[in-house]
Amino acid sequence: MQVDLIGQVAVVTGGAGAIGQGIVTRLAENGATVVVADIDLAAAKAFAARVPRARALAIDITDETSIGAGISAILREFDGIDILVNNAGINSFVHRVNIDTFPVAEWDRITKVDLDGLFLMSRAALAPMTARGQGGRIVNIASVVGLAAMRLQSPFVAAKAGVVHLTRSMALELGPQGIRVNAVAPGSVLSEGTRALFYGADGRFAARTAEFMAHVPLGRPGTPEEIAEAVLFLASPAAGYVTGQILAVDGGWTAGFVI
Amino acid sequence: MVRVALDGKSLVVAGDRNAIVALAEERLVASGAHLLASDDAAVPDILIVSFPVLPAEDPETGPQHEIAERMAAAMAGRGHGRIVFLLSAMAAMPMRRHPGYAVGQAAALARMRGLAMRFAPAVLVNAVGVGAIGAPLVAGDAAMIGHTALGRAGTALDVAETVLFLCDPANTYLTGQMLSVDGGWSAGYGRNF
Repeated sequence: MQVDLIGQVAVVTGGAGAIGQGIVTRLAENGATVVVADIDLAAAKAFAARVPRARALAIDITDETSIGAGISAILREFDGIDILVNNAGINSFVHRVNIDTFPVAEWDRITKVDLDGLFLMSRAALAPMTARGQGGRIVNIASVVGLAAMRLQSPFVAAKAGVVHLTRSMALELGPQGIRVNAVAPGSVLSEGTRALFYGADGRFAARTAEFMAHVPLGRPGTPEEIAEAVLFLASPAAGYVTGQILAVDGGWTAGFVI
Repeated sequence: MVRVALDGKSLVVAGDRNAIVALAEERLVASGAHLLASDDAAVPDILIVSFPVLPAEDPETGPQHEIAERMAAAMAGRGHGRIVFLLSAMAAMPMRRHPGYAVGQAAALARMRGLAMRFAPAVLVNAVGVGAIGAPLVAGDAAMIGHTALGRAGTALDVAETVLFLCDPANTYLTGQMLSVDGGWSAGYGRNF
């Protein structure tokens, strides 16, 4: 798919991560000037250097001072922001336990990035969006666990459910200003981080992955490019009457119970 | 506008005829797809199944269910296919004033999701949930507009663009989903209480 994002300024948080890189690449391929905002500036710089027109920017979305400095830096170069992709997010792969023993510090760490950070980043981007005088678009990266709960990752599940509903309430509040807000809810996504988790040394699914993938109609994890395709559409003018929607890009996982 | 490369892809557009499906068909053909007659024995690469998007009390939609089932199975046998249901956004959110219609739409949504699960991974099946479109309305109900976030009706092109996205050859991990083009009607209460 090709859309016209020429002249548009896009900010992608967590832009140096696996899904983030896929999103940045697709937005840039369609003409946008993309700010790769990431807490890891070195990674953002290394990646942005390979993307036409892209810039790297250090932003810690849990810190309002850092967000403010980042937005100021963007506004020194551009007269506003057209597209914000709230992609930055974290989960714990170590603490897979029930809520009775889930570490409170981990709850705080995860919800602070995945929910609070998305809220702080979004509100900071609103004035720069309306400054452009042509509305704006926010695409939040939620998760299918925000739609269908899973065990052993309570802060991530709760934060992503928060993102799902915050997406809807932001859409309702910001629609009159011409700002559309939607979310993409990825299922499992293949990245450097999850590759070792999903596949054994022989290149086949690990036993637990195979058990899990049996519940996914397409029977495989998605790719960052496949997530990015949905983000690209929702961020484009072609989706002009789409707002407050949660689009699961999950290989059919949430279509119903396969088993 | 969305550009997708559908050169060489065959297309069947079945079911209700209206301004929205006509424009979606036009955009798909302009993107390279070629139309087959819906009574053609050939199995298309892309099937659009159009359900009535203007509320009526109890419209006949048996043929839409039948062709979706038949083509999904044939596409799976052949090894690939795309199906897009054109539904009302009411499929997922009934309106009191259209009780029978909402039931029929919900059944079509369940059909879509079931096909997505049964004929995966060969066939990708998705839906567009159409809100209040056009002036005068060609889809939805005027009462929807007061609840939308955008405060206006959409256009047939808004829906057609979403159909193109669902037929996008690079859009390969999306199945069993309905994306509503309804200005935020289904997102919640677009009013200040």
